Amino acid sequence: MINIDNVSYSYKKGGGVSNINLTIQDGEFVFLIGPTGSGKTTILKLLYMDLFPKAGKITIDKFDSQSIKKRKIPYLRRRVGVIFQHYHLLEDRNLFENIALPLHVLGYDKEEVVELVNESIDEIGLSGKESHYPHELSGGEQQRACIARALIKDPEIILADEPTGNLDPVASFELIKLLEQISKEGTSILMASHNYNLIKSRGHRIVEMQNGSVRQ
Amino acid sequence: MNKLIFILAEGFKNVWRHKSSAVSSVFSIYLTLIVSGSLLIVSQNTNKLIEYLRDKYKIEVFFKDSVTEKRVEELTADFKSINGVNSITIISKKDAERIFKSQFGDDILSILGYNPLPISCVINLKKDWPSRIDIKPIISNLRKYREVDEINHQGKLISRIENYYESFLEIMVVIVSITLIIAVFIISNTVKLTILSKKELIRSLQLIGATKSFVKGPFIIEGVVHGLLATVLSFYTIIGVLNFSKYFIYDLTRFDIYYDQVFIFQVLLSLSLLVGFIGSNRAISRFLK
Repeated sequence: MINIDNVSYSYKKGGGVSNINLTIQDGEFVFLIGPTGSGKTTILKLLYMDLFPKAGKITIDKFDSQSIKKRKIPYLRRRVGVIFQHYHLLEDRNLFENIALPLHVLGYDKEEVVELVNESIDEIGLSGKESHYPHELSGGEQQRACIARALIKDPEIILADEPTGNLDPVASFELIKLLEQISKEGTSILMASHNYNLIKSRGHRIVEMQNGSVRQ
Repeated sequence: MNKLIFILAEGFKNVWRHKSSAVSSVFSIYLTLIVSGSLLIVSQNTNKLIEYLRDKYKIEVFFKDSVTEKRVEELTADFKSINGVNSITIISKKDAERIFKSQFGDDILSILGYNPLPISCVINLKKDWPSRIDIKPIISNLRKYREVDEINHQGKLISRIENYYESFLEIMVVIVSITLIIAVFIISNTVKLTILSKKELIRSLQLIGATKSFVKGPFIIEGVVHGLLATVLSFYTIIGVLNFSKYFIYDLTRFDIYYDQVFIFQVLLSLSLLVGFIGSNRAISRFLK
């Protein structure tokens, strides 16, 4: 379970979030919507503890932002999969190596890595493209690779920051369907988006942000 | 274990991935090792020279006429316990007479009718002193014996040579330290440039839950591999130059250059690993702060 308790954060140059309260249950799919600069990315960064609240507390299972030690943050992040609008795939590594990276961090052996990565590539429909580098894949393919990389470590939570931002409507729709399928298997998902039309009819909870606050 | 294998493999792959920065990093360690290696050989040969000179240091002690040979034997046994004394040779009245004859060609007995030469002893000093030889305490110890009449020594010469040697060692330490510090900075900056171009990789690793050591590992391995490459290159350069020039130097100076290949390799390897490790660790640690 994720709990955001009266959290505020402000950047030196202005902006941020104030007095955010939000709880996400295990396996719940929540959309975070709002215009650019409304604080969606800040919330996600606070959740994977790239930023720490100036006030309030974030709790993710046994980890909380007030007491977590710096060296323990990697262990929290191993339970969280992060998907970005700009994919963040490594340009000097092929599709296989990109998806395999989290497994190496977790210490899987070579045979397991090969088996799990091939399975994952098959699931996202990119079989045969294992040795392709990111620049040889389309935007949709790169985003699927990014999702595969986030999912391969079997995270309990997925944080998706505008994952459809660079995708055409068909690819966006397929991505949402893929995330819904993952959510049904028990993974909590918080997906930030400013595309209301894409998410309005999906039947999930929608949290609306405006000027750094949750709109009631 | 799997993580360790991955870190090692990544480190080696990174050397190839970051070829251009590897060249400048290896070259800067190479130059450092050439300077340090050359200084090491100079230092080893200076040591050899100073040991040769120390071997020549002698203190001559002349005893009063009234002292018997038996008493001299007792006294020299005492002298041996003085710190810094290596060995003692007793020169009896008869020995002194022989030495006189061999040096001046005349028999002193036939000139004077008696032998006025006193019993003496020659004290040889230890040559493997950890620092400079100071003969003053030895002389003052010897002077305490009332049987001792006169002491001859090369105190000023010894002191001058030891002063030069001491200054030389100090300068060596300063030069090697400065060279190493410069090398650490150069490597650190080279690695920093590599790291800046690998920001995305580091960020991705951090986001998927890599610990600090997992992120640092491949960069440190990379730095160490640069060090190993530089060691091999600098070792063969130094040995090649020595092999080429030693006969030439011997012809000119009659000085046979001494060098221990295994020791040189060990020192170069230790320095390069140290510089490679500190340089890369410094760069990546600053970035991960």
